[in-house]
Amino acid sequence: MIQRLLLSALVGIAAAFSTRAAEPADTLRPYRPVTSAYTLGLGTSHICDTYLTPLHYTGIGAEMRYERLSAMAFDPDRWIMQLDARLILDATENPARNASMSGLEMRLSWSMMRRFHIASVPGLRLFCGGCTDLGGGALLLARNGNNPAQARAAWTLGPTVMGVWNHRFSRLPVTLRYQARMPLIGAFFSPDYGELYYEIYLGNHRGLAHVAWPGSYFRLDNLLSADLHLGNTSLRIGYAADILSSKANNIVTRHVTHLFVIGVTTESITIGRSRGIDPHARIISAIY
Amino acid sequence: MKLLHRIISAIAVAVAVASCHHVEDYDGGMYGNFDALWSVIDEHYCFFAEKDVDWAEIGARYRARINPDEMKTTDFFNLCGDMLDELRDGHVNLSSSFNVSYYRRWWSDYPQNFDLRLVRQYYLDFDYAQSGPLSYKVLHDSIGYMLVTTMASGIPDGALDVSLLSFAEAGCPALVIDVRDNGGGMMTTTERLVSRFIDTTTLAGYISHKTGPAHDAFSEPYPFYYESAVGHVRWLRPVVILTNRSTFSAANSFVAIMRRLPNVRIVGDTTGGGSGMPFSSEIPCGWGVRMSACPVYDSHMQLTENGVPPSDGCKIDLDPDLALKGTDTMLDFALDLAADWREWYSPE
Repeated sequence: MIQRLLLSALVGIAAAFSTRAAEPADTLRPYRPVTSAYTLGLGTSHICDTYLTPLHYTGIGAEMRYERLSAMAFDPDRWIMQLDARLILDATENPARNASMSGLEMRLSWSMMRRFHIASVPGLRLFCGGCTDLGGGALLLARNGNNPAQARAAWTLGPTVMGVWNHRFSRLPVTLRYQARMPLIGAFFSPDYGELYYEIYLGNHRGLAHVAWPGSYFRLDNLLSADLHLGNTSLRIGYAADILSSKANNIVTRHVTHLFVIGVTTESITIGRSRGIDPHARIISAIY
Repeated sequence: MKLLHRIISAIAVAVAVASCHHVEDYDGGMYGNFDALWSVIDEHYCFFAEKDVDWAEIGARYRARINPDEMKTTDFFNLCGDMLDELRDGHVNLSSSFNVSYYRRWWSDYPQNFDLRLVRQYYLDFDYAQSGPLSYKVLHDSIGYMLVTTMASGIPDGALDVSLLSFAEAGCPALVIDVRDNGGGMMTTTERLVSRFIDTTTLAGYISHKTGPAHDAFSEPYPFYYESAVGHVRWLRPVVILTNRSTFSAANSFVAIMRRLPNVRIVGDTTGGGSGMPFSSEIPCGWGVRMSACPVYDSHMQLTENGVPPSDGCKIDLDPDLALKGTDTMLDFALDLAADWREWYSPE
């Protein structure tokens, strides 16, 4: 199953570079509006990183997220792409509430998904495809002397699935959506069990990169959202849950966030000056 | 439907695998905190073999003394501190809001051999240049004198440039660096200081770390090198380093590196050691724990955890009677040795 998902993602990527050239010149190209979302998330964060401490820290998690979705040029009816950039912040405390750990992470994800219409439920579409995610950041535990921080970096590939249901509640059009991403393969950074960053600074870079697979690097990234279409812009409210558990060199890292998400989404079309607006062209939205 | 079932199954398997990333949970009572403390040390401390410590036996012995019904928090803290003292390591501490446990016998069992007021009053005449932890002056017999009180804060490059240049301009043939009572700090300060006394890339030592919780799980020692401070003032003439038992940690490393240079002599008492770079952790009640975790060896792969001895014939203590009269016998010995540098060093 996993192989098939990866294969479909690879075929899609290959098609993106091959079918465009084969497209007939007289075909009326559809418009592919870009759905952009700017959201803020606020909620709880739970962190445990045994390199820094054996204790579980809890507190506030927050994120700023920009998301961009659009149908893909090579086959807009069936394929969409998604760009997702996030800045994630954590402010947590130990159980005794006498030490604080801060977290900062930047993540950039790019996904490509195949669209499936579910004929039996009007407005419901399922998407599945592949995702690549690049992230980096650090945890800071200031009370520690020589090991006050833990760097985090990972690049992963994995499947993503998404369900979108466009429905009208009373007179209000709403887009309900759930998306999950889980890396299957990749690489991530970890120092050795008791290795100080000073030793890395001295030049010892052995054993810092590790193969990421669900047994060593498990991450399940969930987003449940409702886009309330109030006019030209939509209000997005939702819930984001990000679960990370990794183990390398006997260091276990857990990071779980539950966030309430709120923001705005817009849909826009870029039209070239020379081309103008063609009233006969179709408009293929990614999720709306 | 079949595809969905497979996806759900795959996620379930992944969740099950990830749940193997076990993190031990300790309760917040005395036994839980004691077990957490014992385990943190058990899994990260690096000198069990060198100190011939049976940590399991020590843990069992002290755990049997816990009595949650009658013990006060301070009593429990003292019990934990006493257990840590069994490691005989100045880098091992338990820190609470009301006390910090500290093994002191690595210096308290020896003469202090240093009186800062004595040096400042009778040798520097309260007239010396100072920048950060560095004080310096050309002494009356044309020997440069640098007092470095700590490695915990950086020494400004400008201060090192100006001090060494002032010694050269005064025609000082040799230099005394006084690191008595220097309790250490940052290894980067050690590196900055050493870089002024080498003219080529120099093997400074080896560093190792734990690769797992087992007592004998260590990485292969990694050699590390210090670069000469090209572009800055360097001192390649004879150097005498003054030490006492309170020369510890990063200052101990400074002495361990410098003593391998042909133009350097160590004078005074054996340093306090502390060659394990400390690692920090904590236990559920919020007390911080610090322990030696990464052994640092000198360039001859010798561990200096128990200190760096003075050079042959250079062991000397401070005479307390003469000190009362304004004489620092150790500094006098160092100044004499520096003045007679031709007797022990022949530049090529």
